[in-house]
Amino acid sequence: MRSAEITAEPAEARQLSLSFLRPSRSAMIGTLAVLAFLVLWQIAPTMGWVNGRFTSRPTEVLLAAIDIFQNDDFLYHARISLTEFVAGFALAIVVSVPLGVLLGTSKIARHLIDPPLMALYIAPTLVLLPIMVIWLGIDMAPKIAVVFLGAVFPIVLNTMAGMSEADPKFLRMARSFGATKFDIFTRVLVPGSLPALLTGLRLAVGRAVLGVIVGELFVSQAGIGYQLNLYGSAMRIDRLLVYALIVSAFGYTLTVIVRSVENKVRDWRSK
Amino acid sequence: MAQIEIRDLGIDYRKPKSNEVFSAVDSVDLSVEKGEFVTIVGSSGCGKSTLLMAVAGLVDLTRGSIEIDGKRVDGPGPDRAVVFQEASLLPWRSVRGNVKFGLEMQRWSGGDLNERAMQMIRLVGLGRFSDYHPHQLSGGMRQRVNIARALAVDPEVLLMDEPFGALDAQTREIMGTELLRIWERAKKTALFVTHDIDEAIFLADKIVVMGRNPGHIKEVIKVDLPRPRNESILDSDAFHELRKRLRAHLAEDMSSMQLVQEVA
Repeated sequence: MRSAEITAEPAEARQLSLSFLRPSRSAMIGTLAVLAFLVLWQIAPTMGWVNGRFTSRPTEVLLAAIDIFQNDDFLYHARISLTEFVAGFALAIVVSVPLGVLLGTSKIARHLIDPPLMALYIAPTLVLLPIMVIWLGIDMAPKIAVVFLGAVFPIVLNTMAGMSEADPKFLRMARSFGATKFDIFTRVLVPGSLPALLTGLRLAVGRAVLGVIVGELFVSQAGIGYQLNLYGSAMRIDRLLVYALIVSAFGYTLTVIVRSVENKVRDWRSK
Repeated sequence: MAQIEIRDLGIDYRKPKSNEVFSAVDSVDLSVEKGEFVTIVGSSGCGKSTLLMAVAGLVDLTRGSIEIDGKRVDGPGPDRAVVFQEASLLPWRSVRGNVKFGLEMQRWSGGDLNERAMQMIRLVGLGRFSDYHPHQLSGGMRQRVNIARALAVDPEVLLMDEPFGALDAQTREIMGTELLRIWERAKKTALFVTHDIDEAIFLADKIVVMGRNPGHIKEVIKVDLPRPRNESILDSDAFHELRKRLRAHLAEDMSSMQLVQEVA
């Protein structure tokens, strides 16, 4: 987009252009679409097109958000959910990275564990939630377990792929300089598989967020999912939407951060 | 005694998924003197790269032996360095980082390491590009880094596997002249595999012509063209004479290949 503009314009024009003040076309269309949607949403119940009781209104959602941040013990619930997320995710990293490295470097281990691992990755780990509740109770523990189970497989599988798919050219080059197995591991395999590891982390974020929320929806005494459940049964669409937005914003932000790191690391691969 | 002594060398491969044994190189005898530039030329499948990789210690020998300075080759060693056909630069390392790689393997460290790497980068003419990453470089520049990386470890023998094979004709010619300039300063024994006849003559003190099925040496030709050389020798009579001789060899190989294809 930008490069096309630059090549299309003569040099002098480029120097004088204030293109940074002019938002790009796609951004403008996107903003307009969102605005149009918000206006439609606001007036639809008033015009009688939909029942406002089921759809709420943007203004109501905004007021509900303000109220939630002021009076709803929001921080308390957020802290519970965040703790579950961080604990489960950290545990997943601690287990999956070494496991992925082991599987990526040992063919035998890979042949042994790959099929069941794949099966577990594809199966929705949320089906284990009832068992986790029976084993671990209704506090944070079963949610941490579900987050762990959701996050662990994408990280293991991607780390493994990154390790085992190292370019044979690089291995041969390293060997020609007398690299030991350890040298090859630290200087070729690890840096080479970093982008794959980050891909695993990114995919794990979504599954982990899902684990927290569904775990809390299923059975809990506190947390964002608990609040969602509460306002769902009370038919408070406005508050329900505020919490839903918070959850998506959290997952989205985290994914974007990981992706930007991933792209930076992967930069050398592009082109 | 010569620096590299190859005696009755044979290398067999087992074809994957069958028990068929395929002989890539057979009955190869070759001596290379210290400081000599030897090119190995032949059509594809004549085992020239396999021979080079065997000297590098990256391929197991089935028969015979390779000695360097009287020491038997049984793996890669600091006395040899390889310039690969594909530059094989680690994409996450800068030019400097890549040139350092071999030195790191030999446990160089700190200021010496850095200085040595920069010296080699300047030698191949990439001083301004030491912080660039491989994807920012042209094919010719990548091969310069590849050569700098090999020279940095100060090997006795430089092994080059069609390093300019993927470059366009003009870059290739420039790189050939450049390589000779570097080689004349570094004074290394060089083994250089190519399928380009002009390249083989231009660089060599001695040309090893190989044939196929199994890979064997057909002829070793001495090249007495004066050094230092530049592109002007490409038009000399002596050069034409050598080119004719090599063409005849390769044409022979080609026709035998066609025959095989017709039979099959």
